Amino acid sequence: MIELTINGETVQAEEGVTILKAAGANGIKIPNLCFDKRLRPYGGCRLCVVELEGQPRLLAACSTPVQAGMKVLTDTPKLRKARQTVLELLLVHHPLDCPVCDKAGECSLQDLAYEYGKPEGRFIRWRKDKPADVRGPLVELDSNRCILCGKCVRICAEHQGRGALGFMGRGFPTVVTPAFGEILECDYCGQCIDACPTGALLAKPYKFKARAWFLEEKDTICSFCGCGCTLTLGLREGRILRARGEEDRGVSEGNLCGRGRFGFDYIYDRERLRTPLLRKDGELVESSWDEAMKYAAEALKDIMEKDGPSSLGAIGWHRASVEDNFMLQKFMREVVGSGNLDFSGSLGYDRVQKALELCFGSMPPHTIDLSSPLGKDVILVVDSDISVTHPIFGLNLMQAAREGAHTIVSDFRQTKLTRHCGTWLRNAPGTGVALLNGIMKVILDQGLAKMDRAAGREGFEDLEKTLAGFTADKVSAITGVSAQAIEKAARTLSGAKSRIITLSLGASENSKGADLVTAAANLAVLLGDGPETIQIPAEYANTYGAWWAGVRPDAGPADSRLRGGDKGLNLESMLYESGSLRGLLVMGDDPVATLPDNANIVRSLKGLELLIVSTISMNETAKMAHVVFPASSWAEKDGIFMNAEGRPQRLPRLIEPTGQSLPEWQMLRNLSWAMDKEINIRSIENLRDEMDQAGTVCESGGTARFSPVGQADLSGLTSKDYPLTLVIRDVLQHSGSLSTRSESLNLVASEAILEIHPTDALNTGISDNDHVKVTSGKGSVYLKARVSEEIMEGVVVTSSHFPHGRVNALSRPSTNGTSQLTAVRVELVK
Amino acid sequence: MGKERVRLMICAGTGCVASGSLKVREALESEIQNRGLQDELKLILTGCNGFCAKGPIISVLPDSIFYQVVKPEDVPELVEEHFVKGRPVERLMYTVPAEKRAIPSMGEIPFFKHQVLRVLRNKGLIDPDSMEEYIARDGYQAAAKALTEMAPEDIIQTIKDSGIRGRGGAGFPTGLKWDFASKSVADQKYLLCNGDEGDPGAFMDRSVMEADPHSVLEGMIIGAKAIGATKGYIYVRAEYPLAIERLRKAIRDANEAGLLGNNILDSGYDFDLDLYLGAGAFVCGEETALMRSIEGKRGMPRPRPPFPAHKGLWDRPTVLNNVETFANIAPIILNGAEWYRSLGTEKSAGTKVFALTGAVKNVGLVEVPMGTPIRTIIYDIGGGMGKKGKKFKAVQMGGPSGGCLPESLLDTPVDFDSINATGAIMGSGGMVVMDDDNCMVSLTRFFLGFTADESCGKCPPCRVGTRVMLDMLTDITEGRGKEGDIETLLDLCEDIKATSLCGLGQTAPNPVLTAIKYFREEFESHIHEKWCKTGICSELTSFEIDPELCTGCGVCARACPQKAITGEKKQPHKIIQELCIQCRTCYDRCKFGSIKIEPTRKMAGLEEVGKSGAKGGAQS
Repeated sequence: MIELTINGETVQAEEGVTILKAAGANGIKIPNLCFDKRLRPYGGCRLCVVELEGQPRLLAACSTPVQAGMKVLTDTPKLRKARQTVLELLLVHHPLDCPVCDKAGECSLQDLAYEYGKPEGRFIRWRKDKPADVRGPLVELDSNRCILCGKCVRICAEHQGRGALGFMGRGFPTVVTPAFGEILECDYCGQCIDACPTGALLAKPYKFKARAWFLEEKDTICSFCGCGCTLTLGLREGRILRARGEEDRGVSEGNLCGRGRFGFDYIYDRERLRTPLLRKDGELVESSWDEAMKYAAEALKDIMEKDGPSSLGAIGWHRASVEDNFMLQKFMREVVGSGNLDFSGSLGYDRVQKALELCFGSMPPHTIDLSSPLGKDVILVVDSDISVTHPIFGLNLMQAAREGAHTIVSDFRQTKLTRHCGTWLRNAPGTGVALLNGIMKVILDQGLAKMDRAAGREGFEDLEKTLAGFTADKVSAITGVSAQAIEKAARTLSGAKSRIITLSLGASENSKGADLVTAAANLAVLLGDGPETIQIPAEYANTYGAWWAGVRPDAGPADSRLRGGDKGLNLESMLYESGSLRGLLVMGDDPVATLPDNANIVRSLKGLELLIVSTISMNETAKMAHVVFPASSWAEKDGIFMNAEGRPQRLPRLIEPTGQSLPEWQMLRNLSWAMDKEINIRSIENLRDEMDQAGTVCESGGTARFSPVGQADLSGLTSKDYPLTLVIRDVLQHSGSLSTRSESLNLVASEAILEIHPTDALNTGISDNDHVKVTSGKGSVYLKARVSEEIMEGVVVTSSHFPHGRVNALSRPSTNGTSQLTAVRVELVK
Repeated sequence: MGKERVRLMICAGTGCVASGSLKVREALESEIQNRGLQDELKLILTGCNGFCAKGPIISVLPDSIFYQVVKPEDVPELVEEHFVKGRPVERLMYTVPAEKRAIPSMGEIPFFKHQVLRVLRNKGLIDPDSMEEYIARDGYQAAAKALTEMAPEDIIQTIKDSGIRGRGGAGFPTGLKWDFASKSVADQKYLLCNGDEGDPGAFMDRSVMEADPHSVLEGMIIGAKAIGATKGYIYVRAEYPLAIERLRKAIRDANEAGLLGNNILDSGYDFDLDLYLGAGAFVCGEETALMRSIEGKRGMPRPRPPFPAHKGLWDRPTVLNNVETFANIAPIILNGAEWYRSLGTEKSAGTKVFALTGAVKNVGLVEVPMGTPIRTIIYDIGGGMGKKGKKFKAVQMGGPSGGCLPESLLDTPVDFDSINATGAIMGSGGMVVMDDDNCMVSLTRFFLGFTADESCGKCPPCRVGTRVMLDMLTDITEGRGKEGDIETLLDLCEDIKATSLCGLGQTAPNPVLTAIKYFREEFESHIHEKWCKTGICSELTSFEIDPELCTGCGVCARACPQKAITGEKKQPHKIIQELCIQCRTCYDRCKFGSIKIEPTRKMAGLEEVGKSGAKGGAQS
């Protein structure tokens, strides 16, 4: 720490920080328009100029580091005049159309002009009046209002790693524009909109919706991925009009991805349910809560009596609150008396936990630290596009790389991470295990880790035996990555002072399985690292919370594990084994639309006597239900989400529930009342009290051991009839199938696209936007094609978000913990 | 080689090439062939000789005879008389205008007599494409000395002691810059040469790169060793094709000779040098913008700190010096700091190259000791005003970042501090002389137009400020000037200087400030009287014929493109104001000074002339 004076006051500052930061830390505001702490100092707006006593020149506070004994003046007549002139110049050609500008009221330029400006400008000239660029979806660019602070350009290139905007021209005619003035094609994260200090970049869905001063702003947690970002929502007259990130707020510190920023409007979907539905004469018809509850209660009781409680099961939801999920397991265990409970996390997060336990013994539930990449020496990303599945975690990966971490990314396709990483190991899809084993083999053979310690671990001989088959040449043949690259990666990884290994695992991806997690854990153990080296984020907003709440066949709340006979049926048994159940309660989720091999699921559901579904909008599963309960959306109820860090975050009720919809926990409470069972839950507080009593998660750490895994044999996957490997991956704009109800997100991506390599496209006669028929052993679907050089030859890629795309009709569930790649045939539809 | 007795050094600098030196070479080649003299006469294309006003130039070695304005048709005579018969051709020599005496030897021509050639030591004497000829004139001796005998500290100390200051314009002590960079610790350091000469009217660096590319390379090799750089770039603007070609050849030759690349001269020292072509943005001459440009990014300046000596190109310690600075380095190392300091002033040691252009008789490249009065450069070397009867009005120094100095400051010595004190800057060495036909308001507007165009657009004071000033100056030159405009301009200049991010914006107001300081009455007459007394600003001018002086010769009437002049032969003529477009043709043609520049009648309130209609048409 050093001492300096600012405006005569002695203040302390860390050495090397800028004057702007030191002043800010001491509550002294220095005006600025181009500063953003996420970005390198730019020094462009010239408003943060300060005086140093004894120096005639003015200095930009945003880029000048403090020095001991410095005497800084931030507000002198000279500075006020200089700032006034700069603002006056900025306003010479500004359209001054504040009365029709959405930014008015929260515009930095307006605020500063008000604070410093003269009532009249000396240089009245023509106003800029180019038409705004409204061609792209979601983002509107009005260059007339632009003051060229470059924040959008820099946030996009430096921070988001995208670079979709740039400066064009020079001097006064300079404009910010997409390359060559074409339509903006980007991630549509909208970070530029938040960064823009004026109304030059605007969110189209919010345009002309409200004046800033009429907005009521409230924070909540995003309902999409497991990052758990804080959304600052703007409401007017009970309607959410926009979402933005507020600097430093929440785990995301003000960053948002496009899903979070624009996707909230799924709650205003036209198919939102307003009343319960009951199947009468084969049709779902509107009914009253009384009638529906009564029907459901009677039907449940009937099955309980007839076939016993264990013929009933329930599926929880990764986007329902912890309370809802807690209530579901309580309802099933206490009211119904069945342990047949599970949720989508069993295909993702739960597998991660189990795989890690193989190597690290009993351990606390696996959580990540979103900031774990920062400051690390080396980061290994295995077969995952984290910037898509968990965009904000992805930002930290990129920031770490920018700050000097060596990032090794293995992936078959070119992604944002492969573009910004230090080493890209381009391995064939589904071969991550072989790659990791190959790296371990090099470490083992060359003694790159503390071998005596590793050799002392349980399972070391097994590891040696397994790895014997993973010589660099063999791995190279399997993965397509050169032996040298594997060796170099092994050296980089083992030579690192600190490192993390990260990947994503979930039901929406088919190119990896739990074996990859185990392989990563083996690698960590071999390197002498603990479980914190592995950073695998839970998939969705409350995946961790639902898991914690005990919506699992083998554990109750707070990971209280159940013994043999108490265990219930898991998700796979309930959904894929026809006849395993008589009745099923699906809370919120839409397995028919999102889980692999949907034909099998449909078959199972058709065989049920009772299917109760709660959902916010009519969905594929609800269409098959006997009773459908309308659920309140995430913004319409109070609750808690636990993000991938395991951090419980409170969501307030922001708007009135749609129609007669109810929070799920209330539905289940009412249902138990309808079944004449008193469960002593009246309010959400009762529920929370009980959750608190569920105790803390078991914290014991086990002893690390090796649990070697082999590479699944992919050699017979493709054949003459099915020559291409289908990889299912998330797209940036969507998360599960819920986001496909967002009108805004659908403007960017509204259907499943089949990406195909140019060579394969040539062979099949397919070009961009052609309709293609994709056939696997499971069935056929029709998709639109896009030729993409980002992927490998022999591989086609699509996503499973879109219910109408039915991509999950092609895929198969993983039975043995390996990848679930599917071979397909692609034909042009003429 | 043995039979070679005469060398013809044909100037192939851009100026001479433009005036036809390559055609002269062709003519010479065929003439020599025809006469079978190819073994005795050797033709060599040199870099810029400097005396561009008199191109194409040939100097004949070893007798140092200087021929000027040589045309292809002069070649047979030249060869016959001089090279066959041994009688130098006086007709093609420089002639002192007053004395009508031909001066055969270059050293005695006034243009050269007052110069001291250090940077330009090899100009016109060597074939720029021949490394051997450079070496023959002590080339690469300094590099050898620096690489094998001197420690980096010794080199830096010598450069510090020499007192040399950066020739790019700001005059930062070169030794100090090197010292900073040498003390930065990094895995990689860079040494860059700024050949992005962009000032209108400046061509010093181009001439050095064209005439003596190896001198730049040698300076860079020495600098690289001093700071510990193993990689360097010469940033040359793509508009300098000849300089690029010669530098490319020089780098190739030096690489082949082991003077660049790995283990130079077995010293264990590596230095890899490349060219980087700039796309012609003036701002890329600013060091941080230049570095962004090399990185492949948009050339925009970055705030300092961090200074390039700590974080420059690709965030590694980097030193950027100007072409002329590097050309100075080898002689300093070879001859010592004392030798260097023996010329120049205490605070500005050595010599400075100027590109002398404009209304002066002898335009060209001149190198003079620092401290030489401007007057000496303009009158003794430049030969005074080019047009008869015209008076000196101002000299523009430092290009668009500099300023205009009036006659009263002609005795200012050219050194960094004295020039800065006047409000102009030394800059890279452009010196544009203006006679009384120049309107200072219009000239200021021209320079502002340049900076407004070349502003990168990053910071508002420069981006909008130059534009606003340009608009105001345009208003003033077009008769829309208002009371208070001068004060507003001065006020704006102050804020733009204080708040701009980089040198471009910080110095952009200089032309305005100096013009107002030294020529305020011209601004005032433009604003208040709506009268441009030089007749340059057409909106503020009308031309009238003084009947007393007009002889009725009719030259003006015949020359007038508008047929706006009428009159009987031998009778005073008259300009029909409705038709006149203020093109100045009559004014320039009249030998009797009978055309008078008057304020615009319209502006003066004499609307009945009704010339606005005619004007509108002419403007569009």
